[in-house]
Amino acid sequence: MADLVQPTPAAMRTADALLRFAGGRSVLLRTPSPAIPGDPSEQLGLATPSFQDIELAPAVLRGQMLLLSASAVETIMGTLASNSANVLFADAFGVLIDGALYEIESVETSQTFGIPYLYRLTLRAPAAQTL
Amino acid sequence: MISAKDTFYLVLRNRIAALNPARTMGLRGVTRPGVLVEENELATAEALPDVFRLRWTAVKLDTQGSMPLATMTCEIRYATAGNAGNGGMDRGRVLAQMDAELRAALSTTPQHAPKQRYTANSTQPTAMATNIFWSDAVFGATATDAERLERTATVQVYSYEEAGE
Repeated sequence: MADLVQPTPAAMRTADALLRFAGGRSVLLRTPSPAIPGDPSEQLGLATPSFQDIELAPAVLRGQMLLLSASAVETIMGTLASNSANVLFADAFGVLIDGALYEIESVETSQTFGIPYLYRLTLRAPAAQTL
Repeated sequence: MISAKDTFYLVLRNRIAALNPARTMGLRGVTRPGVLVEENELATAEALPDVFRLRWTAVKLDTQGSMPLATMTCEIRYATAGNAGNGGMDRGRVLAQMDAELRAALSTTPQHAPKQRYTANSTQPTAMATNIFWSDAVFGATATDAERLERTATVQVYSYEEAGE
């Protein structure tokens, strides 16, 4: 009954379990570091942000498609004070998988009742791997 | 010209923050006044609602006088979907409030400020010899994009080009 009232956590748990069963692994999302409070340098374009790698798991890579747990994305959105997953992925410089940085081409979401339980990222392989 | 652009942004940001301290935004984990320069931010910051986004467009240089006078066009773009708690039905009022804030910030005297030079390795800007000054805002028509109301106001910012700029 609780699952009928709150279907999203159940969908998230199911998605996480399926991702783990399908060989779930961790990947790293490379994002700009948080801004420096009170420092106008970045606001004036004088300083550029450094980068940080944040672990996301469980994830499954199928060809150029990366399936990501929405619960993991939700957690890092809270950590980074990001307003939305779309902004988070758009700000990211890419996904680091086994030492290679893949560019994020597009993001699609699977939802129940308007709340995501799975993200599907289409990745572009780094130039050295596409030659 | 870059010093004039930096000075104008910081004057406008500080005036908006003084007029409405609640107009803030969360950007890359930091809460700051809701005014940004698009060319200085990650591209995604451009879509934020309820903030003022400055976009520098045309530049004209008049070299007739003793010092070249640069006239820079600054488009100030803003959009709102209203308050979620009101179902967005107050979006017209919220846009009108943003209009009023911007008009007050730009029309408050003085409409000039000492030009400052900002550098990456210095915590304090260096005062320059001349002022920047600006026109009143010209407000464009309201545009609608799905649930959002949008407007672009245009301001002319003037600055004398000093030696070394």
